Amino acid sequence: MSTAFYWSIAGTAAGLVLVGLWGVLTRKNILRIALAFTVADTGANLLLVWSGYLPGRTAPIIDGSIPASDITSSVVDPLPQAMVLTSIVIGVAVAALFVVVGVLASRRTGSADVRRMKELRW
Amino acid sequence: MIRTLTGLIIVLALGAVAASVIPEMQMRSELQGVGYSYASRGMDETGSSNLVTAVIVAYRGLDTLGEVVVLFCASTAVVLILTLFPIGVRASEPSRIVAFTAKVLPAPIMLFGVYFIAHSHLSPGGGFPGGTVIASAFLLVMLGSSSVPDRNGRLPAIESLAGLTFGLLGFWGVLTAGQFLNNTFLGTGTPGTIVSGGLIPLISIAIGAKVASEFSGVFKAFRNTRGEA
Amino acid sequence: MTVIALTLGGMMVAAGIAVLFVKDLLSAIIITGFVSLSASVMFLLMDAPDVAITEASIGAVLATMIFLWGRGKIGGDG
Repeated sequence: MSTAFYWSIAGTAAGLVLVGLWGVLTRKNILRIALAFTVADTGANLLLVWSGYLPGRTAPIIDGSIPASDITSSVVDPLPQAMVLTSIVIGVAVAALFVVVGVLASRRTGSADVRRMKELRW
Repeated sequence: MIRTLTGLIIVLALGAVAASVIPEMQMRSELQGVGYSYASRGMDETGSSNLVTAVIVAYRGLDTLGEVVVLFCASTAVVLILTLFPIGVRASEPSRIVAFTAKVLPAPIMLFGVYFIAHSHLSPGGGFPGGTVIASAFLLVMLGSSSVPDRNGRLPAIESLAGLTFGLLGFWGVLTAGQFLNNTFLGTGTPGTIVSGGLIPLISIAIGAKVASEFSGVFKAFRNTRGEA
Repeated sequence: MTVIALTLGGMMVAAGIAVLFVKDLLSAIIITGFVSLSASVMFLLMDAPDVAITEASIGAVLATMIFLWGRGKIGGDG
């Protein structure tokens, strides 16, 4: 039971990253590329938290239910969770900048098609 | 067609690499290394019951300062672009349900956000989720009316003051204990009470205020004042 | 737990593929919000409540709002 649960999460996360990457490579609308980038970012965060998960343990918050002498064998790893908190917030900031610059570029060239945004001049 | 096929080949190759690398990423049966030392000494050294907040604010406080800088750069860039090229949306009159909800709901949402920030060292919480909850309350108020929010321009002032507070708290650690962002010079208290954890609650309040005013400023820039739709 | 994780995982990957192939941009944005919310549930299944609340409040509210604004500016199709 635990093994299927454990590896299905890793498979989902890797699948999301690959689907998002394929979307960034092949789609033409700039907003759809931003959406695929967000999906890939979500998958990467899932993979990071999965790497710190130990089956059978509980969250790294020490209230009365965890014996104070035995913390290190009853909590999951807190370090990947701290990194993923940072990563989620930065991911939304990057998505906001992506969308704003994409809207500006589509106004400049008249359509939202990436193949028409080939010029490097203003 | 060529594009789709090439993308598929690249993705399949990366999938093969992932299938060989990901089984190495799994945790062995015990906590090891840095995670082990944070889990075993976190509560005693920092005084907070929430180990994740202890890692973010106390052990890796400098990375959090870097994240605050990244957020500041991104939000300033967005507001700058939307001010130079005014492509904001002209507000339309909201419907009755939205207008009524925007009068009733933002106060409990903000109360929940403040609770979230204040309990960052006791239960699941932190400065970042609390700040975004308060920013979503601001978004609800903005959607419920068709006027321009924050006419006095106090949001950037709050954001700058909060960021400055974070830096000054770090330098207070330099003055008293000789280390930037030292956590223990205020005393750690007993873990589990609300006055505990050294500098952690103060830094969480500063981060929460900064994130809330930052995202609120971004949402304010989405609403145009000059009439171009 | 296993059934929830397997079902949610399958739905997430299918939704990720659907984001790229749906004709309407509004549907794509809402499906991205669904992927974020399902990721939040998976974070809770992996004993990470801090991360779950952060992902739910940021991915479902802020990111969706930004994408909806972007769609309003470039037109709703494609």
